[in-house]
Amino acid sequence: MTNTAAASVSRPKRRFKLTKRVFSYPYVLFMLLFVVIPLVMILVNAFLDTDNNLTLDNFADFFTDSSSLIILANSLLVGVITTAICLIIGYPLSYILSKMPSGRVLVLFYVLPMWVNFLIRTLATKAIFIAMDVNLGMGTVIFGMVYNYLPFMILPLHTTLSSIDRSYIEAAQDLGADNSTVFLKTVLPLSVSGIISGITMVFIPTISTFAISQLLSNGKIFLFGDSIQMKFEQGLYGVGSIMSLVMLVFVLVSNFIINRAGRKSGLSIGRSLW
Amino acid sequence: MKKRRTFAAIVLALVCICALMPVLSACNTSGGGIGGGGADTLVIYNWEDYIDTGLLNEFEKYYREVTGRSLSITYSTFDTNETMLTQVMRGETAVDLVCPSEYAIERLMRAGLLANQTKLIEEFSADYPEAFSNLANVNQTVLDKIGETFGSMDINGESYDMRDYMVPYMWGTLGLLYNTKIISEEELEEYGWGMLWNESGNPDLENMILMKDSVRDSYAAVVFYMEKYGLLPDGISATYGKPFSELTANELINCTDPEMLDAAERLLTEQRERISGYEVDFGKDDMINEIVYLDLAWSGDALWAIEESEYYEDTDTYQLGYYVPEKSNIWYDGWAILESSDSKLAAMMFIDYMCRPDSGARNIGYIGYTSAVDQEVMKYDYGAAQALLDVEYLWYANEEECSVYDYNGKMVFYYEGEGYYLDLYGNEVDVEVDVTDENHLTELALETDDEGYYLLPEGLKDSYPLDEEYIVCPDSISLFYDDEGRYPEITENLGVMQDYGAANEDVVNMWQRAKAGGGVPSSLWWCLLAIVLFVGAVLGVYFLKEALKGRPRRLKDADRK
Repeated sequence: MTNTAAASVSRPKRRFKLTKRVFSYPYVLFMLLFVVIPLVMILVNAFLDTDNNLTLDNFADFFTDSSSLIILANSLLVGVITTAICLIIGYPLSYILSKMPSGRVLVLFYVLPMWVNFLIRTLATKAIFIAMDVNLGMGTVIFGMVYNYLPFMILPLHTTLSSIDRSYIEAAQDLGADNSTVFLKTVLPLSVSGIISGITMVFIPTISTFAISQLLSNGKIFLFGDSIQMKFEQGLYGVGSIMSLVMLVFVLVSNFIINRAGRKSGLSIGRSLW
Repeated sequence: MKKRRTFAAIVLALVCICALMPVLSACNTSGGGIGGGGADTLVIYNWEDYIDTGLLNEFEKYYREVTGRSLSITYSTFDTNETMLTQVMRGETAVDLVCPSEYAIERLMRAGLLANQTKLIEEFSADYPEAFSNLANVNQTVLDKIGETFGSMDINGESYDMRDYMVPYMWGTLGLLYNTKIISEEELEEYGWGMLWNESGNPDLENMILMKDSVRDSYAAVVFYMEKYGLLPDGISATYGKPFSELTANELINCTDPEMLDAAERLLTEQRERISGYEVDFGKDDMINEIVYLDLAWSGDALWAIEESEYYEDTDTYQLGYYVPEKSNIWYDGWAILESSDSKLAAMMFIDYMCRPDSGARNIGYIGYTSAVDQEVMKYDYGAAQALLDVEYLWYANEEECSVYDYNGKMVFYYEGEGYYLDLYGNEVDVEVDVTDENHLTELALETDDEGYYLLPEGLKDSYPLDEEYIVCPDSISLFYDDEGRYPEITENLGVMQDYGAANEDVVNMWQRAKAGGGVPSSLWWCLLAIVLFVGAVLGVYFLKEALKGRPRRLKDADRK
């Protein structure tokens, strides 16, 4: 056994073998082409001025421009508010659904709108608002955000909540806990991983959206995504790249914080994602 | 392990090289496309939906007839001038012919990327003397207007004339698209651009106004507004060396002095609170559907919207109207050949082909904007009339609409509803009906077909070039060519916008600040507060419940003791 293994290692050239690793090559190639290269390009652009000379001015431009920072703060606030509303609506809903025998089917109804393209949905929402004579503005934008991202909150929550073993709850009840105590001491801690992945999946896309805010406010609500888009449209690639990098940093930081929070509670979030 | 690390290093290096590719290639002067093969090639880079695509195939045929060589056209499109500029200036695509707006042409010229067309024509005229005759059809007033602003551009100490480097293709104005039921013409005349700030105080207009989501157009609107209402900054403009209030239309829209930007920002921020929003594409539909009543619009879009809007028979008006205030912006797009091109002959011939009156008319029919081909040339051209008949900009004369007279040996058409006489080409004729001398005006009995359309009389068939069988309705000709929206009078009150140059970033930032408004909107704080309160309330209820629950138990314990 060891002999043959040694022989195969010492053989200078092995024939191509269809191992597990081979299957990952297309994926690696894809990631290289469409994720890594664009990121490196953004990084390169961030240090170039309009005449392709190396410069650090773009950083100064962005970090000294109070309007950009205010826009960033607005985006983060919108993200936090959207996530909070999604959680407040999504958690009780998923909890109720997970207790119902037909919950699996009912959850489908909440996911169903996602099968329609989100732009079409947003335009339809806008048409409804206009028909109802609602003034487009911050309220409609937040509504649109919640409407679009609610399924991303409900799905992971429902998955975790419905996979909680019934016997834990029964055990808690046997030990004399009433309903609210069962919920707070058993169900809630067991569903933290779902909450965390739900927050990740709502917060991160909301801080970078631009289409929803643009459409549902007629361009009056100007978020960070809109600002990045405008910079690139106007040929200010340097500042646009910096802003993309800032956005990326925020995504990474929030991911890190959420991850840490997940690990603290002793659960891995990797498993609970869908 | 080591192997894997070197592999990773190689991959990373490759990635970096790929990412740096555009930068590296920009350093090389881009050497044009491929010159091989039997066929000539022509790469055209134009706005989306900005040509009657049938013309491309026809030009290929025409090129073969003239030069004896076959041609294959690659046609690609862009959606903003900036996209085009990036592609062309970074040398990412080999292009022969582009059709951007004036300021983008200026930027390309300043980068030294454009070929001198006057020289090209001189060079090619020796071999193809007939091939460039249509260039003379371009509207001279438009060319003069371009000359005023770009006639002597100073690039690196030398003087350049943009007209040597481009041929205008389409042009138009910036104005107000309005709802005729809500806004009257008198109001527009009185308040002009102030309408966008609802200076008339019309309660129907609050939150019913749309601005353009475009820096350049909004800036033009705001500076003209400032000029009319005396809101221009005090003092002397550093760029032009005279008081701001004395600047001409042209200087106003090109002035990017900090004082001017500050004032514009203040007004745009103020306006933000009172308008429905910013748009670039849905404005026309919103106007037609009466979701808003006023929109900052380009002439071509406005004409399209008016045609699509409702027509009220009783008052003979459309639901929408287009108004160009006293001072406004005139813009144009033009064809420019890149210096790096290998197909300059084909490119130049293509430009000439676009200047044929029938090409101009077909493009108007397809795009809806105003072609730079002179309307006086198109009016008398057979092909142009045919093209406009096809798209129903023109129609045939019908006996129900008008009656035909002979007036001093000339055929005139009388439109009862309008009360005027027009000649065959839609020009108004001053008819003085003298009762004593009836010979001046005699009714003609022209033959008509079954549906009442006038047939062209025998004698006219050779001399009347607009159609072979029927007479084109002179009223439709006059409606089309005398439309003030389509063919506004080009005066010095229309300013041409130049590239902002180094000030571009400042202007963009000003626009961003204006659009974002100052600070965090209060509604966000209220939302946040509401959520905090809600969470607080839930927690409060829980603790209250715990507290209530705890008390009886303690009592029980006490009882037992």
